[in-house]
Parts: sequence; structure tokens; C-alpha cells
Amino acid sequence: MSRRDLLRGLGAGAGAAGLGALLSACGNAAGASPTITSLPLPRKNHPVRWPIFKDNQPIPSGLKPEVGATLKLYNWTAYINQAVINNFQKKYKCSVEWTSFNTITDAISKIKSGEADYDVFVPTPDNLGQLIEAKLIQPLNHSYIPNIAQCWPDFLNPFYDQGWQYTVPYTVYTTGITWRKDHVDGNPAQWKNGFQFPWQKKYAGKVAILDDYRESLSLGLMYNGNYDLNTTSASQLRLSKASLDDLDTLVGGVQIDNNDYTNVPSGQVWIHHAWSGDMAAAASYMPKGVPVEVVGYWFPANGVGPVANDNMVVLKTSKAPVLAHLFLNYFLDLPNVIENISFNGYIQPLIKCTPELLVQEKILPPSLMSTVVLPSYFRNGLFELELPPTADVQWEQDWLEFSGGI
Amino acid sequence: MAVDTAVRTGASPSGPGATITPATTRRRLPPWHNPWRHAWFLEGFTWLYLIWSIVPIGLAVLFSFNKGKSQSAWQGFSLRWYLTDPINSVLHGAVYHQAVIQTLRLSALTTVITVPLGVAFAIGINRWRTRTSTTFNFVMIVSFVVPELIFGVALFSVFSQLYTSIKLGTWAEVLGLVIWNISWPAIIVVARLVSIGPSFEEAAADLGASRFEAVRRVLVPLLAPAIFASAVLVFAGVIDDFVIVDLLSSSSATQPVSVLIYSTTRGGNNGPALNAIATIMLVVSLIVATLGYFAYRWMTRGERGANTQDALANITGM
Amino acid sequence: MSKTTPKARNTREQRWVWGLFSGPGIVTLIVLFVVPFYVVIAIAAGTLDIFESPVPAWNPLHWRAGNFTSIFGDLVGRGAFIGPEFVRTVVYVVIASLLSLVIAYPTAYFVTRWAGRRKVMFLLLLIAPFWVSYMMRMLAWIDLLQTNGYVNKVLGDLHLTSQPVNWLGGKASTVILGLVYGYIPYLILVLYAGLDRIDQRLLEAGRDLGLNRWRTFMRITLPLSRQTIMTGMLVTALPMMGDYFTNQLLSATPRTAMIGNLIDGQLSTPGLLPQGSALSLLLLVVLLPLMIYYVLQTYAASGRAA
Repeated sequence: MSRRDLLRGLGAGAGAAGLGALLSACGNAAGASPTITSLPLPRKNHPVRWPIFKDNQPIPSGLKPEVGATLKLYNWTAYINQAVINNFQKKYKCSVEWTSFNTITDAISKIKSGEADYDVFVPTPDNLGQLIEAKLIQPLNHSYIPNIAQCWPDFLNPFYDQGWQYTVPYTVYTTGITWRKDHVDGNPAQWKNGFQFPWQKKYAGKVAILDDYRESLSLGLMYNGNYDLNTTSASQLRLSKASLDDLDTLVGGVQIDNNDYTNVPSGQVWIHHAWSGDMAAAASYMPKGVPVEVVGYWFPANGVGPVANDNMVVLKTSKAPVLAHLFLNYFLDLPNVIENISFNGYIQPLIKCTPELLVQEKILPPSLMSTVVLPSYFRNGLFELELPPTADVQWEQDWLEFSGGI
Repeated sequence: MAVDTAVRTGASPSGPGATITPATTRRRLPPWHNPWRHAWFLEGFTWLYLIWSIVPIGLAVLFSFNKGKSQSAWQGFSLRWYLTDPINSVLHGAVYHQAVIQTLRLSALTTVITVPLGVAFAIGINRWRTRTSTTFNFVMIVSFVVPELIFGVALFSVFSQLYTSIKLGTWAEVLGLVIWNISWPAIIVVARLVSIGPSFEEAAADLGASRFEAVRRVLVPLLAPAIFASAVLVFAGVIDDFVIVDLLSSSSATQPVSVLIYSTTRGGNNGPALNAIATIMLVVSLIVATLGYFAYRWMTRGERGANTQDALANITGM
Repeated sequence: MSKTTPKARNTREQRWVWGLFSGPGIVTLIVLFVVPFYVVIAIAAGTLDIFESPVPAWNPLHWRAGNFTSIFGDLVGRGAFIGPEFVRTVVYVVIASLLSLVIAYPTAYFVTRWAGRRKVMFLLLLIAPFWVSYMMRMLAWIDLLQTNGYVNKVLGDLHLTSQPVNWLGGKASTVILGLVYGYIPYLILVLYAGLDRIDQRLLEAGRDLGLNRWRTFMRITLPLSRQTIMTGMLVTALPMMGDYFTNQLLSATPRTAMIGNLIDGQLSTPGLLPQGSALSLLLLVVLLPLMIYYVLQTYAASGRAA
């Protein structure tokens, strides 16, 4: 079995040989045992330097950008500012076609299937392993991306891609707690463990957690003081799930959704487990007459909480690789980043892009400065990364048992 | 009849030979004792149900023409969410018109495949009386009663584990919809065949037609209304379908309107553009239904008896 | 079906040709209905490989009971999560079906008996929801049930509630009403078809014999419509048991989760697909008596109509 077949099996389920082999596979019901070694799993204390394969080399330096080409971008829904793209099109005299996806599993299976011919893709670090091993993304030629100097120095050698061979950072974000100051007393910052804030009987019916098995089980782990968010310990997971069950009982039914950015401004939910970028955009969702100052966002001051970053990569199938590199470079330049954040809400890790600057540019209300990710958060923060398959299923199983499928 | 009237008005003849009292002095019971009076309570109840059933849809359609984003405050009439809004309108938002096109594509492909398949199946089963045919007739009816989720699980499993060359996506959706909807033409056409009987074909055979000619020139025209009705039902059924396409779709490019509404609503992004595409699909369904109804009436003009009634009765088990 | 055959041609060859007609349909049924169910069994009785992808056990000799035992283990007892969800689903479906019947029966009865010249109009209005996609009907209700939506506005104006009610925040009543709203058109159609077949003259005869309205209903209409009611309830309850989307849209909490949600959740993780398949088979087995009853009714009906 080639590596590619194996990876396809990872995503969509190992296929049987087909109708013809239906009953002839009697003896080999379990299929041939694969000889591949498991993919390296990057961790903060086990950084990974990905190999550069002979048949997947970076493009040579000094090439001119393709003329009159169409650059194809594959990105999350509503995750990039069209205005910045328009400026890119004008500067490099090209056109940019943008397709969106809703879930990362959708996107990865489309790319793996070979049906797509995108140039630029925005994955999360926990998917890099399979993309690189399957040679779906190409190594970068750094000479086209001088703007990396504007980024935090951490990104010149991130643990998930040492030597930034395949990725440049796109956005960074944290997962914290958001609450309505006008309805809720107190503040997670005043608590010893702010992540315990949702566990309050007083606000029954008004508490929500994220619909994401990693994020919410991590919340349960942190509730119990466990900060290894990539744990494979079944007992820790059980404990986390039990805490979530307690939460459900305590608040008379905890809501599970990803609509923190609409439900908290509208007052439907008063305490929500939330993503920083979502809450930064709260101002545009406030109903008439309600000031944005009533929305608060908290993340631990010592940075020990879930952080993550999305990256931009160039796909191997790219037909305009030079333009793709220049696109990555364009989104690392401060003025473009400011304009992108004004639409997106999600911070990009540029040295000059400080909370004060964003407030000054009127992109962020001062009350929500806590949604900005500081370099210290990033260094101390906890990453939710790729898990070994058995552990991953264990996480999914526990989440399913808690959520009942919702 | 006179006795009847007497019973109705409650007047009692006082004995043999008694004269019937004139109408003006007959004691009349209050209206609510009249067993033939109109059922006002039931009518009110029905109207309440109809209002509860239709008004929310009307409001959803109404707010698709709202000038602003609100779903509860009317801000003026506008076609913004259909045509003019640069990001969030059906015309400009790629995800919206892709969904509309995907729905229509699925409906057309499924109808074109399902109807001939189902009609041929029905004719064959009806005429070919063997154990095999009865078995498969039974299988067909069973496929009608399996809940859609379980059906969907089976189809999802087979496309991801066995028929892996057909990946999840448009063709998997079409095949799933075909097998899900094939019972419509099968059952309706069988009902029609049963009510037609073999007499017409026998007559044709007597007049010298070959079997093939008899089918083509006699049977198919007689079946036309049933074929047509089942085509309409299949088409509308596919527009409405959710579970099978949800489980068999692969990415945002292959999701029809029903799945788009579902995933966007879950995401809290309830723009009026959703109302707009839902309204568009509503209009398409209504047009198909109306055209179908008139065409059916025209095709069955001059016939007595209600053949759809038979089919309906079959399906409802009466 | 009349047993008279065309004069000269009922040879075996002729019958075989008719078989050709149904050939493609039969092949489709096998390929897309019978085989997929075998695949479900094979997956449910199969294992997982080291990458946690399902390995179907094609050969019955290799079937393993592992997934089934884990499902049964989760049905009752401590830490069981499937059993309670099952029970909740049945409760919701029963309540929703009965509620639907209570609403649909009088309505169908009215239209068949009392609508007179306006029958066609009423029928059109009753059928209208059919042509509106289920999703759109749910969308309409979600719009109305928002915290700042019309329902709360009206309730507030009528001073029935002091604070806006969070209808979409995990209320069982919202889910049950949503199920009723979604599935009742099917029930009305079935009841209408059935009630319409009751001969009016029987009712008139009852009247002539002195029964009042209530008695006429109890002793003539109701017994005659018993079969229709049974079938109607099946047509409503069977799909409801597999419903997961009504719940997802109208409530976001685990407290109202139905068995369909569980199966749907298991489908999205390759490692949980065997459990999802096993659970689906379990659901099928539970629903089998109802399905068989329905099939026998339909079979008998088409036999009767012949």
C-alpha cells in the first residue's frame, strides 16, 4: 500500500477492494498491515523539522511573477478581507479567485482527492503532518517573502515547522471566556482559575460552551487544573467529561454552539466559552442602544490557556507559485494586515501590531483589548495539536457521550 | 319526510289522528341542537391550524424582501438580498446561487433517472408474476418505510467503504436520491396499472399489435398521468430532501439549498439571503406543482374515478 | 388483477420479457438498497485498523460482536448514555405524534365532511406546506423564536411573560412543537385520504337512526377510521424516530438530544462509524415491528385494490 493510499484511508475510511473482491477477501479481512511509521507529532517540547523531498523542491529564486494569471485561494468562510485582495490584484495585475470551506476536514479531503487546483491554502498546524508527507504543499522559497521580518521572531522557527520551511503564520487567536458585564457579577480575572467561571448556578440557562470536541474537553481539563491539552490519558478525559456533565446539570442545560459572536451581544447567552477573534468583532453585532463595553473577554494573564495560529501554505499543484509566494508576503505587511484585521477581527502576529495600535486605528474598542494575542501568550500558551489516532477517537467518543450528538 | 321534519324540530305528534301543527307555532329548538348545522367549532379549529401552519412561512418570505437585516422589524421593501447586495445576495454570493443550482441539478438528474427506472420496474412487476417479482415488490415497499436516517447511514457506509470510486459528492447524492425516491413511481404506476387492467392491451393484441407496439402505443399513453404525477412528486421530493444529501455531500460546492440553510442557521449567520433562496425554491416547487396539477387534469380529462386517490390510499394503507 | 390472459401469447417467453422491464429496477434495488445494508452489518460487525478507520468484515465468519456489546453496555446502568437518549427520543416522538393527531384529525375531518364547496380550497391550503421545504419551515420558526423575535414580542405585549423567553435554548417543548410542525402535513394528508373514503351515506344512515353527532362520530366514524389513524401515526412516528435536524436547529443542548443526533455524530468520525452502524441496526430492529405492520397494510391494500 502506498503512502498516499494510507493517507486517503486516514481521511475517508480504508476502502475495501471493491465489488469483485467482496467475498474473495475472506482470509484478509483486516487488509494488509501497513509498514509506514507513524507521522511525527510536533509538540512545543518536541519541535519538528520537516523533510524536503527530492521530488518536492521549492521554486528557484529570482523568477518574475506570472503575468495575467489567476491566483486561487482556499480559505475559511469570511476569513479574509476582500478589499485587501482587490489591492493585491491591482498591484500585481492578476485576478484572485477565492473559494471557501466550512470545516477543515472538508478542505483536506478535497485537496487530498486531487480535485482541487488551488494555489494558497489556510490550514491549522495539526494538519501539517499529513499535508507534508503526502507532498500536497510545497516548501517555500524565502527570498520571495522578506516581510517575515515584520513577524514575531517566534515564527522564524516555530516548533511545528522549524526553519519555516512550509508555512507563514496567518492569524493567531486564543480561547477564553466572554461574559456580559451588565448581567454577570464578577470577572474571571478575579478567580483563581478563570476557566471555572462558567460553572455558576446563578446564571442557569445562560451559559454556553464551544461546539468543538478539542476546545470543550480542554475546558473540562483546565477546570480540573490539567494543562496538557494533548493528553492521551483516558482517566483525565473521563474526569473532564464528568466536569462538563456537572456543568450541564448545574446550569440547567449548557448550550453548545459556535455563535459566541452573535449570542453574547444579543444577550441570549451571558457566559460563553469563546474565541478571541470572534469577540473582537462584537461591536458590529451589538443591538441598537447597547454599548460594546458590556462585553468582556478574558484570557489568563500568564498566558497559560489555549492558543493557536493558522498558517498560509502554497499547494504543490499551484499554477502560479511565484504569485502565491508574493500573496503570502503581501499579508505579512503592516498596512495590509491592519486592513485585514478591521474586517476579520483575528489578530496577525506582527511586531508592530499591538493592542494600542488597533485601538488607535479604531479597529478594536478599548474594552476588548484582551482579545489581542500578545507574544508572551504565544510562548506560554497551550496548543491543541494532532493526536495519535486512538487518542483522537477517545476524545471524540467522550465528546459524543457528553453532547449526545448535538 | 313529514315525520322527518317533525323529528327534527322536536315536535311530537300527540297520537294517531293528531294534526300537524302549523310551522309558526311549532316549538323550535335552539340552533345548536340542529344535527345538520355547520360545524363552526371545527371550522375555527381548522382555520387556526392553517394560520399556525402558513403564517410563519409567509413571514419568512416577507422578510426576504426586507431592506435591513432584521427578521422582526420591517424596514422597507427591497430586492437587496436577491440581487443587489454585493456579498450577501443570491446573485452575488457564490455559496447561495451555487446551492440553488445544485438543488435544481440534483432534482433534474434524479427525476430523469428515477422515473423511467421506477415505471419500468412497475410494469415488469405487475406483468411478470413470479416469486422473484413478488419478492422484489416486497423489497420495494420495505424501502419505502425505512426511516431516512438509517437509509442515509447505509448509503454513506457503502459509498465510503465499498463503492469508493464514486466519492461523496453530486453523483453519490444522485444515486442516493434515486433509490430513496424510486418507490414513488413504482407505487403510483402500479396503482394505475391495476386500475387500467389488461383489457386495453388485449384489445390491441386482438387488433394485431405486437407486444412491443401494444406497450408503446397503448400502455404508455394510458400511464402518462401516473408517470407525470410521480415525476412531479420526485422532483419536489428532491428539492425538499435533507438527510440523504447532508450525509452524502462532500463540501460546500455540493451542498443544495436544504443543507445550506441547515448549516448556516446552525452557524448563527441568519442573513435574509437564506430567506431569499428558500423563497426561490418555494416558488419553483409551487410552479412545478401547479403545472403538474393542470397537466394531470388535462391528461386525465374524460376519465372517471380518482387514480391518485387509489395510489394515496395504497400508500396510506387503507 | 383479472386473471384473464391475452388470447394467444401467454407463453413463458412473454413473461420473461416483462421481467426485462423490471430488471434495471431490481438491479438498482440490489446495488443501492440490499448491498448497502449488508455493508452496514459488515461495518458494525467489523473492527478498526491502527489508524482507527473502520475495517468491514465482509465474511460472516469474521463478524465480531465487539461494537454491539459496547452499545448494549451503554444502554443501561452507570455511565450509560445511549439508553436515556433512546428513552427520551421515544417520549418526544410519542408526545409529538399524539399532539399531531389531536390537531390533524379534527382538521381532516372538517375538510372531508363540512367543507362542501370550499373543499378544494382547503385541500390546497393543507397541501401547501408539502411544497415548502422542511428547512424553510424550520427557518421560519427560528426567526420567530429568537429572543427578540415576534413570539416574544407578542407574548410581552399581551403581558403573558415578564421577560423574553429563550425558546431556542434547550427547551423540550420547543423541540416537540417543532416536530409536530414539521411532520403534521403528512399526517393530515393520510387522515384526509382515509376519512374521505368513508361513505357519507353510512353517516347519514346513523343520523336517520337517531344518533346525535357525538354518537355518530364515536360509533361510525371513529371505528372506520381506526386503520387510517394507525397508519397515519406510523407515517408520522417512523420518520420522527430518525430525526436529528429539528433538534439541532431548535435547541443547542445535550438535554434534548435524540438518538438520531447520536448516530449523526458517530458518522462524522471514521473511528466511531462501526458504533454508529451498530446503533442504526439497533434502531432498525426496534422499529421493525412498526415497519412490518405498515408493509403488511400496504400490501393488503394493493391486494384489495386489485
